[in-house]
Amino acid sequence: MAATVPVLELAPPPAVEGHGVLGILLHNRKFLIGSTIFLVLLAVCLIGSQVTGPLPLRSGTFKPKLGIGGGGLTILGTTSLGQSVLAQLFQAIPYSMLVGVVAAAIGTTLGALVGLISGYFGGKTDAGLRILIDVFLSIPTLLFAILLASLLRGVTVPALAVVIGIFAFAWPARAVRAQVLSLKERPFVQVALLSGLSGWEIVWGELMPHLSPWLGANFVNAFIAAILAESGLAILGLGSQQQMTLGQMIYWALSYGALLQNMWWWWATPVLMLIVLFLSLYLVHVGLDEVSNPRLRGAQ
Amino acid sequence: MGGYGRHVVERLIIFVATVAISVTVVFFAPRLVPGDPLGALSLKLANVGGNLGGQALVDDYARRFGLDKPLPEQYVAYLRQLAQGDLGYSIAVFPTTVGDLIKSALPWTIGLLMITSVISWLIGSVIGGVVGWASGRVKALQGLVPIALLLYTIPYYILAIILVFLLAFLWPVFPISGAYSAGMHPSLTPEFAADVLQHAALPALSIILVSLGWWFLSMRSLIITGKGEDYITWAEAKGLPDRRIFWAYAFRNALLPQLTGLALSLGQIVGGALVMETIFGYPGVGYLIFSSIKTLDYPVIQGSILLIVISVATANLIIDLAYPLIDPRIRVGSSGRM
Repeated sequence: MAATVPVLELAPPPAVEGHGVLGILLHNRKFLIGSTIFLVLLAVCLIGSQVTGPLPLRSGTFKPKLGIGGGGLTILGTTSLGQSVLAQLFQAIPYSMLVGVVAAAIGTTLGALVGLISGYFGGKTDAGLRILIDVFLSIPTLLFAILLASLLRGVTVPALAVVIGIFAFAWPARAVRAQVLSLKERPFVQVALLSGLSGWEIVWGELMPHLSPWLGANFVNAFIAAILAESGLAILGLGSQQQMTLGQMIYWALSYGALLQNMWWWWATPVLMLIVLFLSLYLVHVGLDEVSNPRLRGAQ
Repeated sequence: MGGYGRHVVERLIIFVATVAISVTVVFFAPRLVPGDPLGALSLKLANVGGNLGGQALVDDYARRFGLDKPLPEQYVAYLRQLAQGDLGYSIAVFPTTVGDLIKSALPWTIGLLMITSVISWLIGSVIGGVVGWASGRVKALQGLVPIALLLYTIPYYILAIILVFLLAFLWPVFPISGAYSAGMHPSLTPEFAADVLQHAALPALSIILVSLGWWFLSMRSLIITGKGEDYITWAEAKGLPDRRIFWAYAFRNALLPQLTGLALSLGQIVGGALVMETIFGYPGVGYLIFSSIKTLDYPVIQGSILLIVISVATANLIIDLAYPLIDPRIRVGSSGRM
């Protein structure tokens, strides 16, 4: 499983040279525990949904309102419509993760780009982009996502993820900009400039390797925020009607009165899974943070 | 101080840009998405048994709402309307204006959010400070750190669901939803106030608990990093009592970055609280948006979003402008806050 860690993107900052990032990451207990939980969850759900097929998701497949502890697919109970809660989880967890990956990728890439351009090229471009960054930092961006999602009702999960991702650029942009401003003055950038490299070559070849560990940690952060945003939208009734996510599961459970009918298995399983997912991602984030910032290592 | 003047101008530009961008997004988003507002309106009316009338009448409406004009012209008209504080009419509850709907929802949201944010900020900062100060000495207090971490990773509405289940369903100490009991009339009596407080308890608790975790963690790390500073060592060397060093030196200095944190997280707090309101059926702006989404009441959605964005931007502006006045160490330079 460890081989899936994107080694190239996590090129080490000078301080950890000679150790190999992967080695350090795998020695970091938090990273290891977090990523293991995450990958096991994903694998179990993907295999599970392949095995069960779409039938247990259809209403009326099982007896409705079965409690927890039944046999086979009804082990986590059934919904008011007689769907298997377990089968819903198998679909919801990977889709929630998909939202995280897509939105975090878009947000981090967009943010890195804006931050790099703003920090490296400076001047009027910087002034304009800085205002844009500051504006989006202070706006409750969930509201814009609500507006767009309410207009594009019933979109697919990936489309929802794109909407969320676009509004997630401000934090990475702000941090990348600050980093670039300080890196720009370092001797190696001056040398690169003097040796005639173009602006983009410097940004890509000289600055990126120093920013990437940080971007990795931010990616995980954005991942968490995106899952959070999607489940928030879903609970407001703006989720995708076509695919299940953890937020969407909570939405259906709440709108069928699972809380008041004491069908706790229906709402508590997605809630619990969301918390487990957040904690695993949080551990990965802390682990990455410690690796990219050696000063944090062993601080706790 | 010339720096302050520049800071004011900078923050004002950002405030104006925030408002301009929000207004523009709110105006253009529905118009760029395929769909015809009057078609949606007549469908909506047909659903409730009414109708807009014949094509001639529809055209007349289009003219009245200015929908037959080119976009830039509509935009200017929209800005003019907004400048007069006019947010238009609700579609779902037609004769009511968007402004009136928001006016009845806003006090609930603002009251709940302001009080809970301040409470959790204060409690979280104090406990976090004490635990940070005692780190390395009192082991028992450090057990709070993982609890705070857990609270911090749980979103509001998740905690809200758990709280409703525990404290309104399993062990019904608090009402399950609403802001006051059905049949009660809002008035300035002690009974009504008690009823409102009882209804606000669970929503408030979920906001306080979740943000408490964050304020706790950030204050704790601020105090721990501050402990090695020269002024602390100097205060210790002077022989000041430990309690005084903590409150008058360490804690006081860490309060300012905490304030910045509050300003920066305001947007997130509001966003999360809106979703939470729908779980508690708390009749604030979040619930208004939720019910407008169900009825496709775009004017209300747009108006509420615009108003919240502008409120958050205003609160941010106030904190930004006050910050350098409170903290003279900050030489306001090119980087703004932090």
